[in-house]
Amino acid sequence: MTPGATAPAAPSTAVRSIAQMAMFAALVAVLGQLPAIPLAGGVPITLQTLGVMLAGAVLGPWRGAGAIVLLHLLVAAGLPLLAHGSGGLGAFAGPSAGFALGWIPGAFVVGLITQASWPLRLWRTITGTVLGGILVVYACGMPVMAFQMGLTMEQAALINLAFLPGDLLKAAIAVALTHSLARAYPAPFSHARSRRRT
Amino acid sequence: MIPLYRPGTSYLHRMPVGAKFLGIFLAALAASIFRENLGVLLGIWAVTLLGFRFSGIGLRGLVAQLWRLKWLVVVLTIPQLIFLTPAEAGFNVARVLAVVLLAALFTLTTATSDILSSFERVLRPLDPLLLRLGLSAERISLALSLTIRSVPVILSFYADIREAQRARGMRPAPRATVLPLLVMSLRHAEETAEALAARGVR
Repeated sequence: MTPGATAPAAPSTAVRSIAQMAMFAALVAVLGQLPAIPLAGGVPITLQTLGVMLAGAVLGPWRGAGAIVLLHLLVAAGLPLLAHGSGGLGAFAGPSAGFALGWIPGAFVVGLITQASWPLRLWRTITGTVLGGILVVYACGMPVMAFQMGLTMEQAALINLAFLPGDLLKAAIAVALTHSLARAYPAPFSHARSRRRT
Repeated sequence: MIPLYRPGTSYLHRMPVGAKFLGIFLAALAASIFRENLGVLLGIWAVTLLGFRFSGIGLRGLVAQLWRLKWLVVVLTIPQLIFLTPAEAGFNVARVLAVVLLAALFTLTTATSDILSSFERVLRPLDPLLLRLGLSAERISLALSLTIRSVPVILSFYADIREAQRARGMRPAPRATVLPLLVMSLRHAEETAEALAARGVR
């Protein structure tokens, strides 16, 4: 650096968090649009919920949930960012509204458990991803689904069983990706790194 | 990324965003509360159809919306027919579709930028409260516009990754695609944060 030139100011934590949340919100949106895995019966599933799990696991509870809030605000404002280009206010009026809204506490719980310590522990990442990414999301989604469709909770649970294998597969991918990323690029895991203990 | 909004000059297009949102919210609430009431259901369908007719979106727009909802209809109808009588199933599907189409009407007749600016207007007075959480209306607006800008950036990252994989004869496995996508996106977030800091954003 030439003498006299001042070093550019390093980004504050707030600015860095905003950039990371925005980027992850966009990443979750993109994962919902990519060529999907065709499921038996022709209903395609996307990797969107993989993105939700990763948001919590990589960014931690607050920024992870914040990324999903950003995504939902833009969806409500009329952008087609949910799976297969769906979006708009209608996404929060249908029977799957509870699942989409459940992503917010879901990502929070994934982050809370996964990033409880640094270095990441495999069992914690598995517990967090399954608990937050699947159980919390289902717990938010099924009552809304049952209410909207006029079914009982047991019937709604039975329908959701069809999605469980796909979600477990995505949880497994999310766990593997989180640990690969923690080794390759640990900077974003700042929530866990600030509470370094085993 | 094309917003779902359809420009127009109808009464629905010109209505204030808040009033339109409240009206649609109350109609959806009514449909959920009076769920067994045929009169309410027919009323909401009538409002929805009139809305589509007079907003200039018309029958073709309605059919296009229904086509977008095809997976919803499939996932909605099949379990209903297993668990409930056909009459109950028809009633439930009709109610859910009416509410979703009514909500779609809001999206179709309101510009995304108008929704975002009214959202910011609602947040502004809450600023003292938001500041305690380390947030502000300004920061939320910045995050929202950064997200919109980031979608095409990440799509181009994905295209680069797929091209590199094709050159090496790789098949698109989720793990091999998403890991580089994650690293590239997070690096880009860091560059964005530095660019913002250099422009004096704190």
